[in-house]
Amino acid sequence: MAANQHERPVSIVIAAMGGEGGGVLTTWLVSAARKANLPVQATSVPGVAQRTGATTYYVEIVPKTYEELGDREPVMDLYPGPGDIDLMISTELLETGRALEKGFISPVRTTLIGSTHRVYTLAEKMAMGDARYDGDKILEAARQMAKRAILFDIERAARDTGSIMNAVILGAIAASDLMPISAEDFEQGIKDEGKAVESNLAGFRAGLAYARGEIVEMHPKPGAGRSTFRPEKSTEEFKARIERDYPATVHPVVMEGCGRVFDFQDAKYARLYLDRLDTIRAIDEGRGADGPAGGDFKLTNEVGRHLALRMTFEDIMRVAQLKTRASRFERVRGEVEAKPDQLVRVTEHFKPGPYELASVLPRGLGRRVAGWADKNPSKARKWHFGMHIRTDTVWGYTRVRMMAGMRKLRRIGYRYAEEQDLIEEWLDLVRDAAGIDRDFALEVAECARLIKGYSDTHKRGVGNYRKIVDSLIRPAIAAGKPVPAEVAKVRTAALADPEGESLSQALASLAEPDKPVSKSGASTQTKGEAAGDITAAAE
Amino acid sequence: MERSFAKEVQSLRKGDGELFEGEGILAVTKAALQAGVSYVGGYQGSPVSHLVDVLSDAKDIMDEYGVHLEICANEAGAAAMLGASIQYPIRGLVTWKSTVGTNVASDALSNLGSVGVKGGAVIVLGEDYGEGASIIQERSHAFAMKSTLWLVDPRPNLTTIVKMVEKSFELSEVSNQPVMLMLRILACHVQGRFTAKDNKHGEWSGNHKIKDPTYDLMKIALPPGTYDQEKHKWERRLPAAIDFIRKEKLNEVFAGDLDEVGIICQGGLYNTVLRSLDHVGLADLYGNSRVPIYCLNVTYPLVDDEITAFCAGKKHILVVEEGHPAYIENDVNVILRKADIQTKVHGKGPLPMAGQYTSDVVQTGIAKWIEEVKPTGADADTAHARVEYIGGLKTKAVGHLGNPVPGRPPTFCTGCPERPVFSAIKLMEKDVGKTHISCDIGCHTFSTLPPFNLGQTVLGYGLGLASSTGIAPNFDKRVISIMGDGGFWHNGLSTGVSSSLFNNNDSVLVIMKNGYTSATGWQWVPSTPKDGNFEESQMSMEDTLRGMGVKWMRKVRTYSVSKMVKTLAEAMTTAEKGLKVIIAESECMLAKQRRVKADRAAKLKAGKRATRERFGIDDDTCTGDHSCIRLSGCPSLTIKPNPDPLRTDPIAHVNTGCVGCGLCGEVAHAAILCPSFYKAEIIYNAGAFERLVARVRKAVIRPFMTREAIRLVEYQPGVIEEEAAARAA
Repeated sequence: MAANQHERPVSIVIAAMGGEGGGVLTTWLVSAARKANLPVQATSVPGVAQRTGATTYYVEIVPKTYEELGDREPVMDLYPGPGDIDLMISTELLETGRALEKGFISPVRTTLIGSTHRVYTLAEKMAMGDARYDGDKILEAARQMAKRAILFDIERAARDTGSIMNAVILGAIAASDLMPISAEDFEQGIKDEGKAVESNLAGFRAGLAYARGEIVEMHPKPGAGRSTFRPEKSTEEFKARIERDYPATVHPVVMEGCGRVFDFQDAKYARLYLDRLDTIRAIDEGRGADGPAGGDFKLTNEVGRHLALRMTFEDIMRVAQLKTRASRFERVRGEVEAKPDQLVRVTEHFKPGPYELASVLPRGLGRRVAGWADKNPSKARKWHFGMHIRTDTVWGYTRVRMMAGMRKLRRIGYRYAEEQDLIEEWLDLVRDAAGIDRDFALEVAECARLIKGYSDTHKRGVGNYRKIVDSLIRPAIAAGKPVPAEVAKVRTAALADPEGESLSQALASLAEPDKPVSKSGASTQTKGEAAGDITAAAE
Repeated sequence: MERSFAKEVQSLRKGDGELFEGEGILAVTKAALQAGVSYVGGYQGSPVSHLVDVLSDAKDIMDEYGVHLEICANEAGAAAMLGASIQYPIRGLVTWKSTVGTNVASDALSNLGSVGVKGGAVIVLGEDYGEGASIIQERSHAFAMKSTLWLVDPRPNLTTIVKMVEKSFELSEVSNQPVMLMLRILACHVQGRFTAKDNKHGEWSGNHKIKDPTYDLMKIALPPGTYDQEKHKWERRLPAAIDFIRKEKLNEVFAGDLDEVGIICQGGLYNTVLRSLDHVGLADLYGNSRVPIYCLNVTYPLVDDEITAFCAGKKHILVVEEGHPAYIENDVNVILRKADIQTKVHGKGPLPMAGQYTSDVVQTGIAKWIEEVKPTGADADTAHARVEYIGGLKTKAVGHLGNPVPGRPPTFCTGCPERPVFSAIKLMEKDVGKTHISCDIGCHTFSTLPPFNLGQTVLGYGLGLASSTGIAPNFDKRVISIMGDGGFWHNGLSTGVSSSLFNNNDSVLVIMKNGYTSATGWQWVPSTPKDGNFEESQMSMEDTLRGMGVKWMRKVRTYSVSKMVKTLAEAMTTAEKGLKVIIAESECMLAKQRRVKADRAAKLKAGKRATRERFGIDDDTCTGDHSCIRLSGCPSLTIKPNPDPLRTDPIAHVNTGCVGCGLCGEVAHAAILCPSFYKAEIIYNAGAFERLVARVRKAVIRPFMTREAIRLVEYQPGVIEEEAAARAA
């Protein structure tokens, strides 16, 4: 009996997510094969994943027609085998990573068609900081491991052509030449089905072109497109001052930061920003160009960044200011995909309470209100007033606009005073730490990141910050001992869970170094701007 | 239903010699018709939910043949339906998910197995085991053994599956026992083809009704009949079954030239075994194997003399049997030892005891076995190389990736009405404190996963309340039980509610009333709303509860988070004793969206006014803490890179999947999170007056608009990376 191990079916795995229509793509492939009279088998593992989880489809197509086979009946497997996949399709970048882990992508036989866009997992989304998986690693691995890697933002290609991902993918499959089915036959299949023929053909042709390397995708870097700005006469003064006093490497941050602070309040406040930052710049300069880390203005850059954010704290006036700009309404229209002839009604959700009230009250009064709320958290929670304000109406807009206008009075308010104290205290710590060690100072500066959000979130952030300052940073400064690694560690722990358990454990473990930390393994793997990558279709 | 088979079911009419192309479960239905079935029934559950859907969609065809379809209240009901075949020679087929459904059906199954059947009784088991399974991992095989039900496990191609369904009816009749035919997940969904036969009318059916009842005391499970029945099982029914299996060659032997070894496998695993042999150079695509294979399309009972004949003269055999305990392997060992055949039996060892037998597992196991026993004429090095190749690929990939890829566990759908209830429980806990939560089966079981992590136990379908009765009196706060409307009608009504009232238990029950058994593809339940209107459902859950004597009952729209928080807190703290029921009502969003979208499309087509709601988040007020995500987990509430050059943490973002359910805003409100959320209503085909109003509003507002942001320099728009151009060139 001559076991012929060279004849094998074309094995196709489609890794999709529930609701994306991986089933439709499978059906198209099956129909195309049936039309070509090729033996085909397909199956799927939806299970509970039919909702939003990872969903896998598996197709085997024997590249010989039933006539050619005669009475030979192929036996086809229901399971995709590692190392055995000819065509791997993944509709999202992380799913390519999963396919790699399973051994589905082999340099010997696998053509990979993968989308580079990201649909974040819950674990990545719910972190208090940044827990995105590093997409670049997946792209790199895919290029290394696949026989041929066709990687591009399929979702975007579909959107650009007014089509669906499946159509674009089918185009890429046709271009892969793995089956004895021509591009024309696939096209015919779309026409025969008669559903959304125009747009599906557009998507199909785009996929074909991407896979053949006829189109190369180019992405702007993330963060692009923020171009509304308003130069004022007095801004020139600041621009000149920054250009004169600061090295070019920190200009992007300091210019942006100074402008932000100006926008938040006024020129006087912007001046305060630069005055404060000058003291940090002096430290960087003081190190001299020849010393360790000399000529490096990283501390100025980082403090410049955080200082701008800390000085533009999000009180109601700020929120109202940001929500009442013409450009904001334009952005909303874009975000909700409203066509020019459609009307859009916008309802804002506000729920101010004791802290918001305190923030606009004069210092003494505000402190009393805030103090009461601190002592009676569950009562305070009841003293919030829900407001749904339609900002596309005259009255609704006027109310929010008036709140924005109140920023002129901000300086006499309690919140302003509190924030300035907190900022000055933080700057003192950074400067003191810098006197000991630059890296230590950088870590102390980074702790400003913990203070963010509104109401309870904000309170929790400040609380965590204070805990770290009081139990770690101040004692270290007093002892003249740099502890950058420890600060980084507890900061990570503070961002691990909202209940603060990890932080308490991390601080406790520093106090008793022998005790193992059980929960500090919160990995904050940073950066995952996979979609920002550029991928060429060419092999 | 989520999926319509209206088009596909037409292929059920195909006749002799016609080619049938389609999905596994559709083929099973066709096979039943070809076998002249008279009644069908079942309870939905993956992977045979679609079988129930197919049966429903095929109602017209079924009616032609006088076949009655019963959508059963639960699996016990479906099994009890087979009672029709005890006294009368009529064929019936029922289906459910196994093993959980078989558990529920056990009472009826034991009785059925004891008294035996006259007409063919077939149970199609959707074996929910392995990847994609949603239940505990157990084998249906144990049920077959304990209740003496024959277990069929066909090779996973449509021709064999169809043939085995037909043969199962015959087997059932000649041996007077019900037959279970198990289909694994992938086989249920397999797309393939087979040559059809004409459908047959059952001897007795809705078209030709039975006139006289048969009376036979021997068919009643009462002593002393049960003693005789037990004897009858072993003295007559089992030998009859074995004879039939042998005579009809239901198990298949595939010869091979490597005589000193052989493989015995379950039919459902045959294709994977063959492909694995192909990988080590011992088989080809067309079913030619060098290793002889004995394929068990019937895994219970085993045919002793077929096994001894296959093994005689062999040094080693490998039993490929999925799951544990290794019943087949153990039996084969006993059979061979009794026959004094000294063939060495391998199985669990090279192959793992637990877990699904995927391609990866089987080929690794077979390769290891070949390496170990080194059959004369086979190349053990090829086997070794294969294992190295697969392992190498994975190791290399993991090396490149560095960190393991995060999982994508299932969660509530976008806009799911059940999610807000758990957001509310989280918020309620802030004031009342945490308590024990006794969960149930359904979409709501996802509450036990992140981001909610709510729920201490899950004991079975409809058992949420019943499973709280032991802990409730021993817990210092009132405990909360969860139950879906599917679970309520399945058995929660009697096991949970009536028992709780009867015992005067003091606890809180939250019933998720979304109108369907949504997790299995939204099949209907007695309280399913008519066109979204709960008032017009066939049966009222509220009236039922009231009639049973529930005094404290509140109905809350699930999306009203603040109200739900208050109601929950009240239920937890009120002085009133007894069962407190909160009905959390809102229609399943998938079902609702299908209707709403069609409605809107029709309106737009007619040029009429229509609206669409969506939520959004302001980029520049979101600070990237993601509290909102931790209280929701909605798939459309996601993150994106921070567009602010000064910030690094990604910000929250509502993507285009948003259906405007409003939970984001409600949660942000109830939890006092942040003012970044806004609701946008997009108005299509607005009327002239509405347009005018909008224009006037704009004109009035414009001069007072807040001025645009001050910046020192224009922010540089994205740089097109030059690398791309280089690579293109």
